[in-house]
Amino acid sequence: MAVLKKIILRMSLLVLLLIPMNYIYKYFFLQQDLEKYSELINLVKQIPDDADIIYVAESSNITYRSNDQDKRYISEMLADYYTDLKVYDITKPAGHGGVYKVLLQNIPKTSKAKTIIVTLNLRSFNASWKNSVLETSLQKSLVLLKDYPPLFNRFMLSFKAYDIKNKKERERLIAKEWKSTTINFPYTAPYNNIFEWDLWMANNGFRDKNGKKDKKKVQLACSYIKAYGFQIDTNTNVRIKDFDDIVELAGERGWQLVFNLLPENTQTAEKLVGDDLIYLMEHNRRLLVDYYTSKGVIVIDNLNAVDSEEFVDQNWTTEHYAELGRKIIAEKIALKLEPVYPESFNEVTYTDEMKSIFLNNCDGNHVWGHSKTISNTGSYSGNYSSKTGKGNDYSISFEYPLSGIPDSLKNSISISLKAYQYSKEHKASLIVSAKSGKTSNYWKAFRLSSKLNEVNKWEDYKLTINITDKIKQSEMIKVYVLNKSNSIILIDDFLVEFN
Amino acid sequence: MLFNTIQFVFFLPLIVIFYYLIPQKYRWVLLLAGSYYFYMCWKVEYIFLILASTLIDYFSGIQIEKKKTKKGKLPFLILSLITNLGLLFAFKYFNFFSESFDLLFQKINISYQFPLFKVLLPVGISFYTFQTLSYTIDVYLGKQKAERHLGYFALYVSYFPQLVAGPIERFSRLTPQLKQYHKLSYKNIVNGLRLILYGLFIKMVIADNLAGIVDQIYSTPDNFSSLNIITGVFLYSFQIYGDFFGYSSIAIGSALMMGVNIMDNFKTPYLARNIAEFWQRWHISLSTWFRDYLYFPLGGNRVSQTRWLYNIFVVFVISGIWHGANWTFVFWGGLYGIVYIIEHIINKFSKPKFSQKSFSFGHIILALKTFVLVTLIWVFFRSQNLNEAFHIFGLMFKNIDVNTAELVVSSMVWIMVLIFILSDLILYNKRFDSWINKLSFPLRWSIYSFFVFSIIVFSGVDDFPFIYFQF
Repeated sequence: MAVLKKIILRMSLLVLLLIPMNYIYKYFFLQQDLEKYSELINLVKQIPDDADIIYVAESSNITYRSNDQDKRYISEMLADYYTDLKVYDITKPAGHGGVYKVLLQNIPKTSKAKTIIVTLNLRSFNASWKNSVLETSLQKSLVLLKDYPPLFNRFMLSFKAYDIKNKKERERLIAKEWKSTTINFPYTAPYNNIFEWDLWMANNGFRDKNGKKDKKKVQLACSYIKAYGFQIDTNTNVRIKDFDDIVELAGERGWQLVFNLLPENTQTAEKLVGDDLIYLMEHNRRLLVDYYTSKGVIVIDNLNAVDSEEFVDQNWTTEHYAELGRKIIAEKIALKLEPVYPESFNEVTYTDEMKSIFLNNCDGNHVWGHSKTISNTGSYSGNYSSKTGKGNDYSISFEYPLSGIPDSLKNSISISLKAYQYSKEHKASLIVSAKSGKTSNYWKAFRLSSKLNEVNKWEDYKLTINITDKIKQSEMIKVYVLNKSNSIILIDDFLVEFN
Repeated sequence: MLFNTIQFVFFLPLIVIFYYLIPQKYRWVLLLAGSYYFYMCWKVEYIFLILASTLIDYFSGIQIEKKKTKKGKLPFLILSLITNLGLLFAFKYFNFFSESFDLLFQKINISYQFPLFKVLLPVGISFYTFQTLSYTIDVYLGKQKAERHLGYFALYVSYFPQLVAGPIERFSRLTPQLKQYHKLSYKNIVNGLRLILYGLFIKMVIADNLAGIVDQIYSTPDNFSSLNIITGVFLYSFQIYGDFFGYSSIAIGSALMMGVNIMDNFKTPYLARNIAEFWQRWHISLSTWFRDYLYFPLGGNRVSQTRWLYNIFVVFVISGIWHGANWTFVFWGGLYGIVYIIEHIINKFSKPKFSQKSFSFGHIILALKTFVLVTLIWVFFRSQNLNEAFHIFGLMFKNIDVNTAELVVSSMVWIMVLIFILSDLILYNKRFDSWINKLSFPLRWSIYSFFVFSIIVFSGVDDFPFIYFQF
């Protein structure tokens, strides 16, 4: 007994010591840990308190097709319908209900947001996504954001208390689910689970004219089966639990919750696999719509909203949409929100208006390539610029289909930008290139050093080039700065003008 | 299950609590079940290897004891040797030999593809096979009575604190302690916790923070300057020491909480004056195993000088192979053999004229020399192949002006390394639990607080399993 008493006394002393430790950690170390291990929090931090609508999504929000004239996000297109409301997005590629839940928990209580739109991605309920290799790092990045004392969260991170599995373990789990989960068709099918279905397709799938197996088509069909061949069980599917938690959180915070059931390429699914797969997709669609509508969520059923050709990836199953697809989704969300914001809603009609001047000052919502280089290290105008060098070889990149430029303005291109170099030890160049498909028709590099004379100072860089016939015949034109050196160059106010 | 995971944070206290709650006669059942569960957390199937090894050695032990003559005993010893070394060969060395023969055949223009065994190396296989082998050899030599209780024997083979990375215990030391009744003792609990705390600090705060830095150097060495590479090589010495010493400390502490004293595996090895002393202080349980079951049977030092040199070299090379199925380990072991012999010859012909007393100038100089040698030899241990090792050595002198990438070692990491060095100096020939016991209560608790805070806040968070698990 005496021994126990001694042990308990010392344990209590340790617990007492943990309290000041928690404060020391919170005030001196938490911020740097968040920056290091939970960059995700920055996605939440960038949302101002006066945001009205927050759109939470995975890569479907931001992915575009390279020849899209309008490369903006779905959330930005949605904002077109509600110009007097502030619409912001939290986009985390490969995100899913579990990630959104933690992100939403971290929205400050001071936020005035009224509506939260969350993408409901059908594939995120399948075995491959639940056990994706990306999960370990995703789950790790969420540990510090959980709703517990910071020191406890750090303890959980240090002792690896998150879903930590290697690639092989995850593959084993996926295979196990494919083998052990029976699919209940209301009729007799030649397969009872994904494993059998996949095998069936591999053996009986597409043949070419000579009777040989059409491997590419079969592989694609198999990937569709693995992506959509499942039945959601609301009692056991972990995603249901995540979305249920989001519903509960929305109730606590007084948010109007909207689930945006993302479009899937059902046309290709039907063509490649047939009715069995469509039956399951429809079954899951109905289940999700009914289940969450009954919980008071506005569910926007977009499953069949986008035509096959509007999917960016034709050889894989993703929820990446070309311009028209994104516009359709934005419109459907906007219409569904009209009863919530009847006075703010505007009709939007997109015209095929041609543009010839493109400016990116790195502060606004200009969807150019390599926007990840945008940083607040320094800026010529506003707060941000594109930071190149030290591994970031490419600056923000202007990429545009030449078909979107009026013919009368296809004579020359004037490019101007502001550049800030820390040293002259670089061979950075402005690159102008033109391509048709994968064929390069034009590629030319113009050394920045020819016009930049000083260091630690913003300087103008201007260039005009003639649009040659080779460029004119190309589909896409691309302009960017290439800096492969270790010397940083900041780029701002990047202007491309067709004359 | 790794020691530095949340599962172990729950597993160990549960085992310890139940251990003291249940009657002595059932404790082995709890420990055996716990040990098997602990091992099955990696891969369930591999438990069958431990079971096979256990059953065959249990049976062999009894049969060896029953037989009156050496001739009668020998087949059962051979059965045990073939089983354990066979398991090791199949799971650890088969591919190495296959690939090596492939290479050799290619060189002599014979086209033959040797088969490869596509299987994951069972965690700790080298440890438990050596542990159980020592038992059958001891029974054969008449040093040990055969164990009749299958449960205790199985527990000896699989005792979870030291199952996957040692220390490699002897039957005569471990099993009597497992059979003995241990009353809940404050001293054992506290000392065990102290060792666990210290081990976690060394592993999680020092080794794991260094692992990422060292990995950068070894994955893309060409991008780094010579100074960066030397820094990475230097830091690896502390990473591997911290990693393995940390593990051993947690293992010893965990067993101590249940009243079992496992042998020390490290005694401040980087303060050794020469390579011979280094091996008396580094991975002691393995060194003594090789001494007792390989070096002595080869004749030890009671042979001619040439034969002795041969014995030393053979023991080091085999010790290298024990560590891993790669030529880098053969080289690593062989280099130790060569350096050991050279140092022996130098010492024989020119005795140092300065004092070598602890912390004298002579000791410091010699320890630094030994540390530099060990650090350089670690390059072979860490490299994926011999080419990579030689490449690293080359870059230490060639990449003077290269700065494609910069090795960033935060001041926090340097401070922790400094603390590690300091603690080694303080703990020279001492163990952490007994050393801290002599400090005043406030000082002791300040150290505990520092360790607890550091483990929680400064631990490396990338997933770096214990290095020695792969052996």
